Amino acid sequence: MLLDYDRLGWLKAALLAFTALVAAFLLLPVVFIVLLSFGSSRWLAFPPPGWTLKWYQELFADPSWIEAALTSARIATMTAILAVTIGLLASFALVRGQFRGREILRGLLLTPMVLPVVVFAIAIYAFFLRLGLGGTTIGFVVAHTVLALPFAIIPMATALEGFDKSIEDAAIVCGASPLQAKLRITLPSIRIGIFSAAIFSFLASWDEVVVAIFMASPTLQTLPVKIWGSLRSDLTPVIAAASSLLVALTLALMIVTALLRRKLQT
Amino acid sequence: MSVEAQQGIATPRIPAGLGGLLPALILIGLFFVVPVLALLLRSVTDPAPGLQNYAALLGDGTYARVFFNTFLVAAVVTIVTVLVAFPVAWMLAIMPPVLASILFGIIILSMWTNLLTRTYAWMVLLQRTGVINRALMGAGIIDQPLPLINNLTGVTIGMVYIMLPFMILPLVGTLRAIDPMTLRAAALCGASPLAAFRRILLPLSLPGIAAGGLMVFVMSLGYFVTPALLGGTSNMMLAEMIAQMIQSLLNWGLGSAAAFILLVVTMALYALQLRLVGARRTTGGA
Repeated sequence: MLLDYDRLGWLKAALLAFTALVAAFLLLPVVFIVLLSFGSSRWLAFPPPGWTLKWYQELFADPSWIEAALTSARIATMTAILAVTIGLLASFALVRGQFRGREILRGLLLTPMVLPVVVFAIAIYAFFLRLGLGGTTIGFVVAHTVLALPFAIIPMATALEGFDKSIEDAAIVCGASPLQAKLRITLPSIRIGIFSAAIFSFLASWDEVVVAIFMASPTLQTLPVKIWGSLRSDLTPVIAAASSLLVALTLALMIVTALLRRKLQT
Repeated sequence: MSVEAQQGIATPRIPAGLGGLLPALILIGLFFVVPVLALLLRSVTDPAPGLQNYAALLGDGTYARVFFNTFLVAAVVTIVTVLVAFPVAWMLAIMPPVLASILFGIIILSMWTNLLTRTYAWMVLLQRTGVINRALMGAGIIDQPLPLINNLTGVTIGMVYIMLPFMILPLVGTLRAIDPMTLRAAALCGASPLAAFRRILLPLSLPGIAAGGLMVFVMSLGYFVTPALLGGTSNMMLAEMIAQMIQSLLNWGLGSAAAFILLVVTMALYALQLRLVGARRTTGGA
């Protein structure tokens, strides 16, 4: 009865205890960092001797943190728009196209997800040095779109595979142009896939560290590059404050995703 | 109307053909394939044409240590991740929906939280004067702080933490696809829980374990951030060495060659993983 929750017997207690431990392990760093960001000890003593907001004040008083966050938001937004647009066109072709080598092309487009980022990072770094795109916003957006494309294609192609094409054909039979049918019937039907694609490609850029470390210039730094730099010099609690805000952002994204999914599905 | 409709269906629609792939192919071709090929070219032409970069990498004891270390860390991380993930996935597959959705929420939160944030937390938690050492000393379990960071222990903890969701989530799918009747039948025929686990549950979930484990192994091989922050100088991994060769030593020839070796190993293992997943699909459907 190993796959019957109610008839596991003593095993259930043991497995549940272990699962609870792992859940605690997964939560530990996230909760710890939030608590730490309100602690008053500069030396990260825990439990903290007192509670304070001064690390947040220090964070917001430093324009370089704000600027890095804005840079990241700008690059991630542009990446998401590009990746979803290019990925949507590609998904239609991959799901519906009838041509030879389709599987090979699908594999090629998904390769950036598998290749170690460090290999791509030094390759694109060298390439952009020659083109004069190193340390530019365009360079960042292009490199991040390459990395985000697989995360955009997978949910949209999956949604499209689950969509009954005869509904689109019915609209065309009723007089809609093929483009109209796609815009007004197909796209709204696969909106959950499009929405997931947008979130995943935004996060792929927003959290990207390795390419960013190579591409960053003193005048153009993303948030991960800023955190990386601070981590390598010292473990100041200001990083904890910045990190806690990122955790809050993750939570907000999760809640929005859950709400939208519920709304879109009904 | 009907003529129009027939034309509508008969006209080839642009996104249905190869046309829709064009922007994606241009992007990937120009900014992925070309730069990677250029890098490979550089590995055999910089500083002079020939294979001396590869000879240097494969013939030197220092580099051999880095290769060995990379495989060691990836193997340890994979084994620990599989052992920890299996019971959790097992519970997730069968527990009541409310509990399962809480657990899923925790997993997604940990997975979506910024990578550097998570690594920073482990740096603070594991350091000499960190919470874990203090707690253990406070409880009287140890007298001296344990070296938990800048070594294999630190890298393993940090990497397992990152890889767990990638192992748990696919495994839940595998376990949910197993028909509970097979285990009920085993129990009816008098099999002990241990025998049922060893002879039914484990073999049936093995394809999922193998595919997930291989993915974790491949991802670990090329990981940069966590080993660079939680590992020590004596157990450097390949990705960190590549970054250092390019960034600090400006040795493009050697760095490109090391990157190419990493690429070949990763892609070969990835192809193997695809075959495993494919095999699972065909056997799972039967």
